Amino acid sequence: MRALDESREILYVIRTLDVLMSSGVGLEAAIHSMAQGGYGIISKDFADLMKNINKGQPMEKELRALLKKAENDGYKRVINTMLNNITQNTDIIETLRKQGERMEEVRTENVKNYIEELGGVPETLLSIGMIGPIILSLVGIIPQLISGGLAELVGGLEQDTAMSIVNIGLFITVAGMALTGIKAHTKDPGL
Amino acid sequence: MIFGILEMFRNEPLLLFLITIGVASAIGGIPPIIERQRRRGIENDLPAMLEALSDSLGAGLGLQQAMMAEADRNTGTLGRLLKETLSESHASSFDSALANFATKSRSSQVQRVMHLISTALEQDAPLQKILADMSRDYERLNDLMNRRESELMGRAILIIMFVSIGLPFLIAFIVGLFAPRSQGFQLDELNSSFTMFFGAASLVAIGVSGRMLGRMRSALWWAPLWMSISMTIYHVGVLVIGG
Repeated sequence: MRALDESREILYVIRTLDVLMSSGVGLEAAIHSMAQGGYGIISKDFADLMKNINKGQPMEKELRALLKKAENDGYKRVINTMLNNITQNTDIIETLRKQGERMEEVRTENVKNYIEELGGVPETLLSIGMIGPIILSLVGIIPQLISGGLAELVGGLEQDTAMSIVNIGLFITVAGMALTGIKAHTKDPGL
Repeated sequence: MIFGILEMFRNEPLLLFLITIGVASAIGGIPPIIERQRRRGIENDLPAMLEALSDSLGAGLGLQQAMMAEADRNTGTLGRLLKETLSESHASSFDSALANFATKSRSSQVQRVMHLISTALEQDAPLQKILADMSRDYERLNDLMNRRESELMGRAILIIMFVSIGLPFLIAFIVGLFAPRSQGFQLDELNSSFTMFFGAASLVAIGVSGRMLGRMRSALWWAPLWMSISMTIYHVGVLVIGG
């Protein structure tokens, strides 16, 4: 969930950092500005970071701690760029622009993949949702439907036993459908 | 006939309860759809507005003048909101009018853009370039969002129709045909299990479809209605087909 929240916000964070730092604002002031809110989980991270810096912790140490906490690759790269800027005085603006362009390409690619991967979900859902109940409905009516020699073929299946099989089967079918559909959540590109 | 229909639900208090809840929550599900349409209309207009503002700034106009020109040109919701904002900015500061515009739009995209414009104004940043960049960014983002919507909408509807309507009808047909009630088959327990199953399957179908389109919370408003439709189709189907 954290990775998804980070991926939703990171591109906007990069654009804002670009605007602020291109206009001459320092890194710490830029982080402070974004810590005020508007960037979801990243604003919260930055607010915690500023709180610790104000308590006297070095910024480098705080950024390293944030690097460990971050889950999204793009977010990690941005924090790494900030660290490099502090330790080696690198050109953060140029790097952020490149990262922004790269992240946009990745996002476009992710959306395409998401649409493609979800292409099979309706068919899979329908297959699971259809085959299971069809078989189970027949299992449920078999004890009343057949008698005599035919009943021996199915081992003299009692109605109670058949109902237990049906109930368990239906539960598994719903669980299977939910598991198939969970892909729609886990692969979300975070638009 | 009405009493005959009501008689079918005599032993199904859960289904009756779900139908009532379903109708009520479906009414609650309409405002999110209207709000979403309004918001997407504003968001789809946003890149063109930013581009026009950037061009006007390039031609030497101030931001406020550029916005006035854009408010006159744009006839959609965005233009109307912009007009209101600018008329209010005579009574308050331009900055607070921008914040007010962002709040009124109820769109995170507009709120982000206005926040960035305010920041850029504060920091005296090159606004023309920033607006052009943002226009490009948001155009790509909206293209992706629209593409996701158009490509997955059909699949989402297919899932709901099949799971909530097709499947209960099919199973009701099988059960009603092979084990008709009129011939003395005792299938109360089986029917009860399948009725519950179709309710649960419809809930899963609505959840998955909503998530696919990126709006599960507003889709869930429709869940009780689809659950009750699905359960009713099976329940009534078995009774009608089975005589």
